Amino acid sequence: MKTRPMLTLEDCRRISAAAEAEAKRNNWNVCIAILDDGGHLLHLARMDGASPANARIAVEKGRTAAESRRSSAVWEERIKAGRNSMLGMPGITPVQGGLPVIVEGICVGGVGVSGVQSHEDEQIAAAGIKVLG
Amino acid sequence: MKAQLRVAVACVSACLALAAGAQQPSPLDAVPEKMPNDIPYGTPISLERAQAAIAAAVGESKRRDWKLNVAVVDSGGRLVAFARMDGAQLGSIAISEHKARAAAMYRRETKAFETGVQAGNHYLLTLDDVIASRGGIPILDGGRLIGAIGCSGATGSQDEVVCRAGADAVKR
Repeated sequence: MKTRPMLTLEDCRRISAAAEAEAKRNNWNVCIAILDDGGHLLHLARMDGASPANARIAVEKGRTAAESRRSSAVWEERIKAGRNSMLGMPGITPVQGGLPVIVEGICVGGVGVSGVQSHEDEQIAAAGIKVLG
Repeated sequence: MKAQLRVAVACVSACLALAAGAQQPSPLDAVPEKMPNDIPYGTPISLERAQAAIAAAVGESKRRDWKLNVAVVDSGGRLVAFARMDGAQLGSIAISEHKARAAAMYRRETKAFETGVQAGNHYLLTLDDVIASRGGIPILDGGRLIGAIGCSGATGSQDEVVCRAGADAVKR
């Protein structure tokens, strides 16, 4: 039987705290969502000043990354390159700011961030995931 | 034949009795002078306080070896913070948020809906976005509603114990 690593609540707290610190350092107010490899919510933190829309978008970006095992920016790039049909992909939010969490070569979930410019959202998500080493 | 006739008569009598019962005044017709749950909405809960509520709830749950999902929403019923404990069931992710949202939107504990439905007031289930299960509690600050907490994953009674621990930790 194969075994696979999975995110614990403690892992999520560390990821979220690191992401939040990155956002605070830049004076950004964002929402940070962490989902498991099935696209189910594990942890969410909406910083003061981030909107309800940010909460929803962060979850969907994270879900896109977790379920498709790739950054939501990849989807955005493909559409930008002219593959308009990708807009119809079910359950995909093709906007930068969602990153998969890869541990030992396996996707164990995704982190989605929303609140500032998309490349800044991704920078925050990356800072969060980095704490896993 | 006679037996059939007796059944028919019994049926008619039962129907008449029901009709007569329907003419009794309904307790829902009473018009109280004051409206219930007249709680003003306040400033939306901060992330720091929402996370304190979640930490208290998760702590209580851990002590009892329960695995729950805990959600905190703001005064608009929108998600501010969420945590899924290791081993908590997936179906309860949405339920915990739903309980919190219903507690904020209706300014009462979700137990009120559960109790009402148990008592036969099934019309409660026709109200928008109601969840008739305990474990959703408003968070107040100085008499104003600033958010709500919802827990799900165990029995309703267990959810409520954990939920209360979270709500009590941050109320003022």
